[in-house]
Amino acid sequence: MPRVLLLLPTTTWRAEALLSACGRLGVDATVGTDRPLVWADRTPERVIALDFAQPAAAAETVAEFARARPLAAVVGADDETTLLAATIASRLGLAHEPVEALAAARDKLRQREVLGRTGLMVPRFTLCRLEEDAAAVARRAEFPCVIKPRRLAASRGVMRVDDAASLGGAMRRLAALLASPDVGACGEWAETAIVESFVPGREVALEGLLRSGRLRVLALFDKPDPLDGPFFEETLYVTPSRLPAETQSAIADTVERAAGALGLGRGPIHAELRVNGRGPVLIELAARPIGGLCSRVLRFGDGVSLEELVLMEALGMETSSLTREPRSAGVMMIPIPGAGVLERVEGREDAERVPGIERVVITAHPGERLTPFPEGSRYPGFLFARGDDPASVEAALREAHRRLRFILAPVPAPADLAMERR
Amino acid sequence: MDQEIKIKAVPIDAQRCRFTVDRPVLKDRAVFFPAVGRAAGSPLAEALFALPGVATVLVSHDTLTVTRSGYGEWPELARQVGAAIRAQLQSGAEPVSASALASMPGEDEIRTRVEHLLETQINPAVASHGGWVELLGVQANNVFLQLGGGCQGCGMADVTLKQGIETLLRQEIPELGEVLDQTDHAAGRNPYYAQSKK
Repeated sequence: MPRVLLLLPTTTWRAEALLSACGRLGVDATVGTDRPLVWADRTPERVIALDFAQPAAAAETVAEFARARPLAAVVGADDETTLLAATIASRLGLAHEPVEALAAARDKLRQREVLGRTGLMVPRFTLCRLEEDAAAVARRAEFPCVIKPRRLAASRGVMRVDDAASLGGAMRRLAALLASPDVGACGEWAETAIVESFVPGREVALEGLLRSGRLRVLALFDKPDPLDGPFFEETLYVTPSRLPAETQSAIADTVERAAGALGLGRGPIHAELRVNGRGPVLIELAARPIGGLCSRVLRFGDGVSLEELVLMEALGMETSSLTREPRSAGVMMIPIPGAGVLERVEGREDAERVPGIERVVITAHPGERLTPFPEGSRYPGFLFARGDDPASVEAALREAHRRLRFILAPVPAPADLAMERR
Repeated sequence: MDQEIKIKAVPIDAQRCRFTVDRPVLKDRAVFFPAVGRAAGSPLAEALFALPGVATVLVSHDTLTVTRSGYGEWPELARQVGAAIRAQLQSGAEPVSASALASMPGEDEIRTRVEHLLETQINPAVASHGGWVELLGVQANNVFLQLGGGCQGCGMADVTLKQGIETLLRQEIPELGEVLDQTDHAAGRNPYYAQSKK
């Protein structure tokens, strides 16, 4: 039986899904983490600590490990670890995506530079230094525009700016976010931002697998809530898409061409696009599966998870017969209900009783400070639904969300925090 | 009759595969066969050990966990295991001997051994992250655990459970059935590694 190295950041949502997938596939899993875990000495075949910031050194550590315990594949959980996985796989002589292609996909600036040369429709953009004179940036920008950091995920830090007068405030706000301790951004990417034209239209997300450069669409999600700003908090994903077949085909074609332009040819991808009268416009493409707990909404064949599918692909197994189930499905990333400290969540059982709702997962814990977008990005939970058609799934998710009540206490003032510490 | 017995085989890892039968094989009891020598007088275990590569067999109510020696693909062996289980059920004979049942550690013994491991190895380890692990109970050979402190809601809780705790428990207590986490992770107030972003 093969052994797989799973690269799991200690803050990941995906540990349970990936480890369960390994169990169901009968694959031995070794977990590589970015910080030492207490088990590294006791179960050394199962846990290995790696310095994610030093890919070459991490690859040597894994190579040493693999001498005694050969690895069949290395799988990352997010953008950062996908890049690291390719570096390690390259060192081990395993199949992998080109590291340069993953690096280009990871950096939104490099991605735009590459895609801008392809003839694909992508937003017009300019790079700005966050300490730059906003008026000078405004002269290069096209309003309304969107300012976004080069690397943060989940739309964190992304803001719509409607006019030149508002741009300076948005730049300062993003600079403050990137300097905050919980982001811990450093390096040139954290001192700059992308300012790109706002693309009107309906937003969709495509989940797919690449093999030999050909895209296999696993699911196309509609995002029924308008994402027009000022911030871009995700809410609803519903599949299958209700867009016309030819539009869906154009979306898939755009994503396949974009992946090819970036040099991506194998493995999972997640793409976000806007669709308007001019056709699909690629907003972002990531060389990883859908984030958070959202993958739970997808089932293939007789119940195979997205993580199982990704692992099977990584191991070179045949998966083409595994198509998404015929039922409609959807997930709601529960909107952050406001700034405050979560005291409790009411109405959960009511929400679970809504026909079509399969799971209500509250991930925020009592006492957790909730921070709205754009500074925050941690959704307080997820709703999952299935139904006969996309409309009923969407309705179930909205109704379940309506029944939930998040009770928040005010965020303690600095003086109160000082008292608490004493 | 053969067709009516449904068995689902799910590999757990490289060496182990779990077979879930749609009816009890050994009602409300569990018994572990660590080697072929212990199978004498237990027709189901004898039949399974006669298959090539079968190393251990754990029978627990409606579930059998079969460990194989060496490496290989499960499908063929799983098919043979399934056929042996069906034949046993159709025969109507007692699947395991009374002496085999008597040799199985009882719930009290499993509880004592798990608590010892928690006390001497597991909790000292997770304490460095402000966590703890508590044994909620033992049913047959299934163990119910609860994680607390820094482990509750931690992004690495599943790694701790599957790669650490479960691995250690199985090394020391091969008769174990399921290791089940009963923790309400959403209620964790101080996870050591908070999950975040995508």
